[in-house]
Amino acid sequence: MKVLRLDLAAYGPFTDATIDLSGGDHGLHIVYGPNEAGKTTALRALRHLLYGIPERSADAFRHPFPKLRIGGALRSADGRTLDVVRRKGRAGTLRRAADESVVPDAELQRFLNGVDAGFFATMFGIGYEDLVAGGTEVVRGGGDLGRLLFAAGSGSAPLGRVLDQLNAEADALFRPAGQKQRINAAVAELKQRRAELAAVQLMGAEWARHDRELSAALAAKAAAEDGLLSAQRRLSRLKRIAEAHPVVAARRETLKALQPVADAVLLPEGFADRRGPAFTRLQVAESERDQARLALANLRAALAELGEPEAVLGYAERVEDAYQDLGSQRKAARDRIGLETRRSAQRSEARQILRSLREDLTLDESERLRIRRTEAVRINELGAEYERIVGRIESSRGRAPDLERQAGRVAAALDAAPAPRPVGELRQRVAAAEPALAVERQLPTACAEAESRLGGCADAVATLGLAVSELRELARLPVPADETVQAFQDRFDRLEHRSAAAAEEARRVEERLAEIERRLEESRLEQEVPTEADLQAARRARDDGWREVRARLQGTPADPAQAVALAEGFEAALRSADALSDRLRREADRVAEKARLLADRSGLHPRRAALREELAAVQADLRAAAAEWAARWRDVPVRPGSPREMRRWLAQFALVLAQAGHALERRSRCAYMEAEVATARRTVAEGLAALGEPVEAGEALSELVRRARELVASADEAARGRDELERERARLRAEIAAAEARRQSDESDFRRWQTDWAQAVKPLGLGAEARPAEAGAVIEELKRLFDHLREAEVLQQRLEGIERDAEAFARNVSLLAAEVAPDLSRAPAEPAVLELQRRLTAAREAQSRRAALGRQIEEAEERLRNTAATIAEAHAALNAMCAEAGCTTVAELSRAERRSDDRRLLEARLGRETERLLQLGGGAAVEDFVREATAVDPDGIGGEIGRLQEEIRELTTRRSELDQQIGSERAELNRMDGSDRAARIAEDIQSILGAMGRDVEHYARLRIASRVLTTAIERFRERSQGPILRRASALFRQLTCGSFDRLRAELGADGQPVIAGVRPGGGEAVAVDGMSDGTADQLFLALRLAGLEHYLDANEAMPFVVDDILITFDDERAAAALQALSALSARTQVIFFTHHRHLLELAAGVLDPAAVFAHHLPPAAAPPGQRPLRM
Amino acid sequence: MFKFLHAADIHLDSPLLRLDVYEGAPAAEIRGATRRAFENLVQTALAEEVDFVVLAGDIFDGDWKDYNTGLHFAARIARLREAGIPVILAAGNHDAASSISRSLRLPDNARVFPHDRPDTFRLESVNVAVHGQSFGSPAVRADLSRGYPAPVPGCFNVGLLHTGVNGREGHERYAPCTLAALREKGYDYWALGHVHQREVLSAEPLVVFPGNTQGRHARETGAKGCILVTVDDSGRAAIDFRPLDVVRWAAAAVDAAGSDSAYDLVDRFRRGIPALLAANPEGLTVVRVRVEGATPAHDDLMSDPQRWESEIRAAAAEDGGERLWVEKVRLGTHSPRATDDLPPDGAVGELMSLIDEIGSDPAALGALAAELADLEKKLPREFRDGAEGWTPDSPGWLAGLLAESRSLLVRRLMKARDDG
Repeated sequence: MKVLRLDLAAYGPFTDATIDLSGGDHGLHIVYGPNEAGKTTALRALRHLLYGIPERSADAFRHPFPKLRIGGALRSADGRTLDVVRRKGRAGTLRRAADESVVPDAELQRFLNGVDAGFFATMFGIGYEDLVAGGTEVVRGGGDLGRLLFAAGSGSAPLGRVLDQLNAEADALFRPAGQKQRINAAVAELKQRRAELAAVQLMGAEWARHDRELSAALAAKAAAEDGLLSAQRRLSRLKRIAEAHPVVAARRETLKALQPVADAVLLPEGFADRRGPAFTRLQVAESERDQARLALANLRAALAELGEPEAVLGYAERVEDAYQDLGSQRKAARDRIGLETRRSAQRSEARQILRSLREDLTLDESERLRIRRTEAVRINELGAEYERIVGRIESSRGRAPDLERQAGRVAAALDAAPAPRPVGELRQRVAAAEPALAVERQLPTACAEAESRLGGCADAVATLGLAVSELRELARLPVPADETVQAFQDRFDRLEHRSAAAAEEARRVEERLAEIERRLEESRLEQEVPTEADLQAARRARDDGWREVRARLQGTPADPAQAVALAEGFEAALRSADALSDRLRREADRVAEKARLLADRSGLHPRRAALREELAAVQADLRAAAAEWAARWRDVPVRPGSPREMRRWLAQFALVLAQAGHALERRSRCAYMEAEVATARRTVAEGLAALGEPVEAGEALSELVRRARELVASADEAARGRDELERERARLRAEIAAAEARRQSDESDFRRWQTDWAQAVKPLGLGAEARPAEAGAVIEELKRLFDHLREAEVLQQRLEGIERDAEAFARNVSLLAAEVAPDLSRAPAEPAVLELQRRLTAAREAQSRRAALGRQIEEAEERLRNTAATIAEAHAALNAMCAEAGCTTVAELSRAERRSDDRRLLEARLGRETERLLQLGGGAAVEDFVREATAVDPDGIGGEIGRLQEEIRELTTRRSELDQQIGSERAELNRMDGSDRAARIAEDIQSILGAMGRDVEHYARLRIASRVLTTAIERFRERSQGPILRRASALFRQLTCGSFDRLRAELGADGQPVIAGVRPGGGEAVAVDGMSDGTADQLFLALRLAGLEHYLDANEAMPFVVDDILITFDDERAAAALQALSALSARTQVIFFTHHRHLLELAAGVLDPAAVFAHHLPPAAAPPGQRPLRM
Repeated sequence: MFKFLHAADIHLDSPLLRLDVYEGAPAAEIRGATRRAFENLVQTALAEEVDFVVLAGDIFDGDWKDYNTGLHFAARIARLREAGIPVILAAGNHDAASSISRSLRLPDNARVFPHDRPDTFRLESVNVAVHGQSFGSPAVRADLSRGYPAPVPGCFNVGLLHTGVNGREGHERYAPCTLAALREKGYDYWALGHVHQREVLSAEPLVVFPGNTQGRHARETGAKGCILVTVDDSGRAAIDFRPLDVVRWAAAAVDAAGSDSAYDLVDRFRRGIPALLAANPEGLTVVRVRVEGATPAHDDLMSDPQRWESEIRAAAAEDGGERLWVEKVRLGTHSPRATDDLPPDGAVGELMSLIDEIGSDPAALGALAAELADLEKKLPREFRDGAEGWTPDSPGWLAGLLAESRSLLVRRLMKARDDG
């Protein structure tokens, strides 16, 4: 099969692109597309044309899925062709060339020779990756011949990897001695889970056994507990009796001791405690009474000694007041000296100040100098005002010259500024010209486009073959209407059909006549016809021979030589008879045949003549029609073709006519735009000229407008500057006037102040010329003077007060002494007061002693009365106790107490002993128990107890053992709780088996695939090693440019055949691991091409699609590879896609131009985003 | 009026067979399925307040030895005892083989028929007579029903029997009998067991296989449970099926015809998921998927069947969530290409003709089995006894594997169809 044409009608980046692959017998077609030109897409399109566009195609970025179209023409080996279009879809995607009807799959299949998509891609496609994979395979497999031949023969470059991967996948699942492989691991896990299952599974018998043992243990425990109870009971009784023996003996003794005191009076508790204290209380009371009497007598004697109280006590208050005043007097006398000193110091200070102010005045006259407070304030205010007025005057005098200087500078600047220009009109003109600016910009493009269209139309007219000088003329041409042309076409078609039919029939008549003549001639050349008699003679000879043979077969055998002669003779007779019979039959047919032929010939001659006339008539009609057709086109300056051609021509003509109309319209629009621009330019130029600006004739409108706008802008700028200066000048003039007015007002204020000041300082004795500071100093000194004088006055008044107090005190003391102690009335005041004080103190002490003694006497009398009462009470108590104890005297009381105590003690002991016996007797009556205990031998009791204790210990141990057994049996049974542990493990086992099933199946599949593939590789090697290796040798020499001479099969290290390259000169063999990567690639390519040729030996050809495999070849080897591909193209079509332009040049240089065809892919828009994904 | 439950073939604690717990499968849901189904039976009896329960054999699984299973069963029966519900059992072939049932002591509300003769249990409170006989050995070949006593007049008569009747697909012909003989017996209800598929053999009188209570493998599809029998005062019985299963098995067939890629097949399976879920709206469905028909995707499927099984499982997990489990994917597809389509010569032709040769030569197929000898030695007995479909001595089995290997090789040796 060969691809004649590939139409990339709507696919990937392509629209209506076509690659013509029909050149050459098969041809080497090099399809060049630079990067992004969609070389890969074109390659893919070829496959999709043959095998359909896949569901998820990435080639619909420009044309949507429903619009995708790939077209093409195919030619089969036997010359049939198929012209188809492929759409995208699920069914019926292959359609006839004009997309009008579905092409059945079977029809395409006849061109594909049973090659499916995968096989086509693999066997008839090789790309750069395949080449590299193949080269890697060469080295990786150590040159394994079988694998390489199979890879080359199938096109499956990574064959070794496939095989290794099958084995690796199988090995990952299972290895005989492995542990980690999935199946091995699952088997191990299974084993483990089974062991676990066995361990946790509970057997029914086991449960029953535990149940039984539990019951037995419970029964044994009950028996042991009974025995234990009885032994404990006996032990307890013996222990009680042993304990009771000493108690019985003690109780007997107690009863004996109780007899003598049985009649004693039982005194109440605490009797002895009451008797002792009553006796003691009596003795103490009597002793206290004696002491009290003695003390009373002593106190009364001391009171009598003290005598009557003194008179001075009646004046105590006045004496104490006088004593206190005495202290005040002493202090006043000390203060007086200090006060006098301070008074004279103040006065002396005042005198000195007065002298500094006015020497003419004494201190007493100084009052005349005192000024009023209001006067002092006035002077202070005027002083402050003086500073302010003086400051203001100085400031206003300095301001005026400064302002004058500023005003001068502004006036100079105004004089220097230029006069403004009148730009108002220019501004309006620019605005009017504004819209024309855009027009001017568009103008060149519009003109160029109009010209280009006009040029295009002229070209189109030339293509139509029309001889017209002006496009306008086109519209006026009298071209015939489409209907007219159609009518002519139909007429021609009819005539031609008639002509062809007549010619065809004439040809058939001629052929028939020639055939008849030939057969008539044949029959003439046949030999003469044999007769019936000849046949009968021959049959007789045959029958005679047969009789002979038969006689021999039935009779005795003759000698061998005779038998041979007989057999040969019979055979000859038999053949001769048969031949004669056949000829007779044939000759009969031949006579009849000849008669029929002669009849046919005479019938055909008139038909031949009629047909010749018909042909002549049709030719005449055709000529007449042609003449009419030419006449119809006389006024159109074109050479008319056939009506069919002229219909297409007319369609083209209509198109050109429309285009010409458009182009002319565009040209007239350009002229209009030019006029508009010129008007605008004039307007602006006049405006500029009016202002005296020069205007060049060639200046563009946009340039003039720009200049005019600059002019207007600079005039506006100048006017703004002048306004600014004038406003500044006016402001300065106003400020100068204000400064002058302020200076005059300040000077008038100062004159008024001078008058006020002279008047104010006159009381200070100062003149008008005095400074404010001077007046302040005088006021300050006057204030100090009057302060000193006031202080001296106060001190004088305090001295006079002290004098008055001393005189009053002396008078008071003299009066008191006369009343209390006349002996002191002549004494000075101070010693008299001191003496009176001393006498008062002594009288007060005597008075307090008398009061203390009185109180002590009262206390002693009270004590005496109390002791007497106590003594009487004690006597009464003792007498009552004697009566209670049945004694006559107090002395007998102690014996009665002793007897009562003895009786009480013994009775208590007897009670305790009886109580104990009751306890030990376990509820039996005391006397019964005493009898029972007495009956037991105390010496044998210890042994009996020991024996019982031993028995109890044994029974206890037994019970505890049984408890343990019961516990463990119960635990066992509890463990058997109906749990689903085992069931869960069984589930796990099933789950492992489930997973394993899958793996096992897959493992089997992989192993079998590997086995089968290995066998196929070996078988293919055996069958094809000779032819493929021979052809590959030659190709390898060619591809390595003679660096290697040939390929050779050798035995490798493990006995497998391997491939090696042999250097020229009959020498060194190079193993594959000694080859460079490039050489390995070339070795694979040689094998691959040889394998393909081997395939083509037995199968129909399919195009071989090569995708840029030479990108790493140097030029020399690339040229060799192209030559090899060119050679291959003698057997099948080779389509070579490449991104590399230099390969085209290389091919043109080294290949026969008749066998190589270059194609350039049209530039195509790149897909959005990125290159289409590989699918 | 009274009610009773009729169940059979509980196979308590027997595991669901060979479920491959794959990543994302709802494994917890299938844990203890038979036990939970039995629990559902007990709960149904309590909720319906039935008057008694009849169990028609195969309570336990014959091979299962864990006595805990028996104890669990006894505990559940004791629960029914608390509610005053008697349970009447006839042992089946599995029970006869079971070491558990031999030593198990059941609470006194359970009554087990003897195996040496038929017997009748009377339930006076509801005026019911239950007739039955247990299996004494795993393989009872005699027709037990023949010896069953005549109906008790004035009572509702129930026949309890573990039987294959006269042959049922996939079940041993134990205690064979004929439907006609059962009908002639004059009982009101025949409570049968042994056949795992639910079936009402006769409506008048009712002769019923309730099926098992929980499907245990891919062939036991559909809802599984027990029969609730309601008998009105005139002695007429009405039956109502009550599902008990916690996991339901289903089969999903995916028709590959007309599909053009393996993804397309996954999509087709996915489209069937809503129907699968709707058939079992509350529980977990375990589905076996079978893909069949001619498809160009055949080689893709066969070159990596595990991958496509995972794709289908992923689709199930995505759309079915916790409620759908794909047990296995069986690929029964074939290529639409006729076998002689490939060119006769060349390396690939050599491989194809070799495969055809081996496939048609039993001796050559037998030689392939040698490749698997190492594995065979290591496989557990479940594989060696053929239960897993592992039959290396069968030419048919080997030929199937060979055909799969052929697809696998074609797919791996050829470039992808759309290799750009």
